[in-house]
Amino acid sequence: MDDREGGASRAVHISSVEVERFCDFLYRRTGLSFSEGKRYFIDRRLEERIAATGSPSFQAYFSLLRADADHEIEYLVNSFTVNETYFYREDHQLRCMTSSLLNGIVGQRPPGSTIRIWSIPCSTGEEPYSIALWLMENWSQVDNYNIEIVGSDIDTRALKAAAEGVYGDRALMRLSRGIVDRYFRPVADGNHEIDEGLRDSIEFTRANVIDAKDMAKYRDFDLIFCRNVLIYFDDASRRQAAENLYDCLRPGGYICLGHSESMSRISPLFSVCRFPDAIVYQRPEADHG
Amino acid sequence: MVEIEAATKARVLVVDDSSLMRLYYKSTLEKAGFEIEPAINGIEAMERILSQPFDLVIVDVNMPRMDGFTFLRALRRGPNDVSGLPALVVSTEAEMSDIAEARASGANFYLVKPVAEVELVRHVCVLTGVSL
Amino acid sequence: MPLIRGDRGAAAAGATAPAPPALDSSDAESRWAAARSLAGQAEAVPELAAALRRETVARVREAILTSLIRTGDTASAEAIVPCLRSQDARLRAAAIEALQALPSALTPILARLFNDPESDVRLLATELARNMKASDATRLLCGLIENEPHPNVCAAAIEVLAEVGTAEALPALERCAVRFTATPFLPFAISMAIARISGAKV
Repeated sequence: MDDREGGASRAVHISSVEVERFCDFLYRRTGLSFSEGKRYFIDRRLEERIAATGSPSFQAYFSLLRADADHEIEYLVNSFTVNETYFYREDHQLRCMTSSLLNGIVGQRPPGSTIRIWSIPCSTGEEPYSIALWLMENWSQVDNYNIEIVGSDIDTRALKAAAEGVYGDRALMRLSRGIVDRYFRPVADGNHEIDEGLRDSIEFTRANVIDAKDMAKYRDFDLIFCRNVLIYFDDASRRQAAENLYDCLRPGGYICLGHSESMSRISPLFSVCRFPDAIVYQRPEADHG
Repeated sequence: MVEIEAATKARVLVVDDSSLMRLYYKSTLEKAGFEIEPAINGIEAMERILSQPFDLVIVDVNMPRMDGFTFLRALRRGPNDVSGLPALVVSTEAEMSDIAEARASGANFYLVKPVAEVELVRHVCVLTGVSL
Repeated sequence: MPLIRGDRGAAAAGATAPAPPALDSSDAESRWAAARSLAGQAEAVPELAAALRRETVARVREAILTSLIRTGDTASAEAIVPCLRSQDARLRAAAIEALQALPSALTPILARLFNDPESDVRLLATELARNMKASDATRLLCGLIENEPHPNVCAAAIEVLAEVGTAEALPALERCAVRFTATPFLPFAISMAIARISGAKV
């Protein structure tokens, strides 16, 4: 299959050991790994990236990749991960929130206390709205506390769309008929607008997770969802983001990453916590050496 | 004649930031009948151990993000179902002080790199209770 | 509806200005804040390096390193290098991580580290070749293994060559194999590296 003008297809041959070299690199940098059965999947994507970068050989491509020329790592990771945003994406983490995390968070707090939850990046709003919906549908104590949900992103157009709260069918595909009926109303072009009360309850702000000055305005969060952004950053930026997020959390607060992400490639600042529905990370209550 | 398959093999987590070392452990121990999973540092090791059952962890000392001793101490402080996991520490150091630190962190045994295949298999068998 | 908009915006209510943070404070929180505030400031490098050597709290050490990394120049690299000699394995590992994140103006530093009398330092330094151009990394690593007596240092160099080595590395690897036929692991590592570099199936 050749999508270049004229010329015969110049598919680059990649040997097994070259794929091994590539897989070792990808695993080390991102934590992504693949079973034997996924070999075809890897080959296809590697061929696509070699062609897309105009590399004459695997070797040339690999040098480019190691130098992260033109943000190739970002393109590569994108091609290996599913990046669609929709409501109730990775809902095991939402389940973990209501089944496990909130118990620890509310602990000794009196009724009427505030719980602060942050979705960053929030993109077009599916994630913060999902958090709100999930809490209302699944948390028996939702009426006992004041819940502040903040959604932040670096992209102001996405934030504008988030504030408008209008979504197509695909974004709602994981929601039951009942939830769609209760919280959305149909609007033009077959779209759905989320309930005004929910729109008003999320605070949308512009923030860059790597920017310490931006992040310094945010403190005392109990729970942060920072999903599918850190995997794209280089080492120095990941460290910076992790330190920023640490400061934004209360001691004992939790952070959830995306399903292909791990603090093992980011920072040792957080403890690994296992719950029935998910592994999440926690800012320690106190320092140890 | 009926062939009797071995019951569940012992599962070993090998934690080392060197990909060649992980491959060496994998090829040596798989030949001896063990099931091997890799991890690249102490944080990934904790994630694996908390997610799946293992019978032994082999852990390098010098790894990025979280070294072997910090990992071991976190493991021993961890939930009851994992805190007692046998741990074989492998290190480039042969000093008594390093062995002492390993013991203080909660290691069950200590080997100095590079480890010979025969030695590795023997110690893994002992620590997992699998006969040679 | 229990969900509310924080009426004071995103920041927490009632924060008062803390005392100015200091790298030599007895309070870890203060040292953490001080380290973070100095990111990218070239004139702060010597102070950060001194703080790095004496810091005992892990997260403060991380913050110091991140700030040194963000400064990103040769002075930062030189400030971190002495940590490679520390008795503390965690500090050595952290130092290497930080050095790896710095630009590949590390070439002169690396040549020096490969001639260091301490095998630990030579071993750690092999990691720094990983992010270099393949031809430079190959040349430096082959130079190292040519006469290196310590099997673990060779093993570390071979690990990096397996990822970045060019065909120029093959003769040096074969000579290394001859020197270490009786040593565990090295024959395995060398044959894997040769296979990766040649592109031939093992």
